[in-house]
Amino acid sequence: MSIWPEERVAAADSDLDTVDMTVNVGPQHPATHGVFRMVLTVDGELVVGCEPYIGYLHRGLEKLSENADYRQAMGWWDRTDYLAGMCCEGAYTMAVERLAGIEVPERADYIRVIMMELSRINSHFMFLGAFGADVGSFGTSFVYAWRERERIYDLFEEVAGDRMFPTYFRIGGVTMDLPDNFEPRCRWVLGSIKQGLEDMDGLLTGNEVFVERCRGLTPVTPEQAIAWGFTGPMLRATGVPWDIRKAEPYSVYPKIDFEIPVGVQGDVFDRFHVRLAECYQSVRIIEQCLEQMPEGRVLAPKLPKTLRINDGELYMPTEGTKGEYGVYLMAKGGTNPYRAKLRSPSFCNLSALQELVVGSYVADAIIILGSLDIVLGEVDK
Amino acid sequence: MSSEPVIGEPEIAALVRERLPDIPFEASETKTYADLRVAPEHFLALVTGLRDDAELAFDLLRNIVALDMEEAGLEAKYQLYSFPHGHALQITVPAPIPSCELPSLTGLYPAANWHEREAAEMVGLVFTGHPDPRNLLLEEDLRIHPLRKAHPLQKAEILQGIEDGPPGVEV
Repeated sequence: MSIWPEERVAAADSDLDTVDMTVNVGPQHPATHGVFRMVLTVDGELVVGCEPYIGYLHRGLEKLSENADYRQAMGWWDRTDYLAGMCCEGAYTMAVERLAGIEVPERADYIRVIMMELSRINSHFMFLGAFGADVGSFGTSFVYAWRERERIYDLFEEVAGDRMFPTYFRIGGVTMDLPDNFEPRCRWVLGSIKQGLEDMDGLLTGNEVFVERCRGLTPVTPEQAIAWGFTGPMLRATGVPWDIRKAEPYSVYPKIDFEIPVGVQGDVFDRFHVRLAECYQSVRIIEQCLEQMPEGRVLAPKLPKTLRINDGELYMPTEGTKGEYGVYLMAKGGTNPYRAKLRSPSFCNLSALQELVVGSYVADAIIILGSLDIVLGEVDK
Repeated sequence: MSSEPVIGEPEIAALVRERLPDIPFEASETKTYADLRVAPEHFLALVTGLRDDAELAFDLLRNIVALDMEEAGLEAKYQLYSFPHGHALQITVPAPIPSCELPSLTGLYPAANWHEREAAEMVGLVFTGHPDPRNLLLEEDLRIHPLRKAHPLQKAEILQGIEDGPPGVEV
């Protein structure tokens, strides 16, 4: 059986008189990871057409942000990539700070990076667990992932007072300093994460059925990935070592030593493996931050009571958990942004679903969708 | 301390002018990247040049922002990135009133497809040559453009079947 979709579709054209069937998947379906719907046209077991439908979770993030104070809008940005709320807060606050020219204390920058990397691990664990379930490990990978995610969420709760939508960052720093016992607690959680990653690696990478199902499935070349607008792990799986934390660094990332894991042929297995390897790098980043973090303020002094930003615009890219999470802001005086726009990585990665799914089997279509690691809050804005 | 990373290059506008001397544009700076403002008739030639010139090689279309500039009409902003050279820039192109038409970039960048569908439904830009100009995030039969400045914040449900007027006109 050829790995190339066109050849598979051609091979399925036999002399038998068959009728294509239309199968609706979602929006309320566990395999679509949220309220996503796709209509598959199938010829037997082979997918010959795929029509994705999104927008079920569209809440008008951009319109709401344009009608709210710069600080009020933060809560909405939290709820885009709801698996990694801190990363979204980080992107939005950094964009506003650069637009307004606000300096952030160094300690706050380190705290932010720790929180963003914990979020990244959290989101990747969600992927590892759910993807394992897609491929057929049923609940085991899910429960393994939940054990670690729960510990990360406990840590978030201790720091910020909330688990999923902490709204912990502020324009100019973070809300409050870390609790006294944070460092030992964080190190304990990191140890547990490393153990969890090893368990997950053993459970999935060590499973021949899992590897056989994923390896060679929808390989993507770097040229295709760039043309389709892939970023993040989807792009790195094709072998392009591009990470915004290195390519266009922000915050304290230039002072930190970490590597960019890449894949070889951009297939489903590589996408899985890149995310697994990224978690180890995130642990490294957090460990270095804990060592380097200075004492001091966590919120910039003399912040204005009402934040007004003069004319200006910027597009601020950050490395979100799914890829390039970019924030475009335009200010025109006032207390609200004139235009706020989210460049959502899941949205861009998902837009190539049709090209990836057509030519594969129905059961593989679910795995391919899972391997994109979409989060619908971010796709639908 | 918030580090100020080197994003984009100030010389990029000069480089574009050197490599594509026939295309007129106005260069300015945003807080991150250089911005090239180009007239709609030169837009496609500029983007094609930016993509195909070996010294420029902007191969990634990162994002499209559609804006309603009220009396100035609609605008679109395109953020591009070059993997071979690691540089980035932004293109601003106004869409002429009343047609609000811009050429679609789907032929140059497949990634433009969903970005343009979103821009079309949200502010009412019309991308000529787009292969699939349906609503993406909104309902299929909804003909409103919520990100127009004249569009009220809390009225979407009762506007079904009503079309938005030209830019700057109250609904």
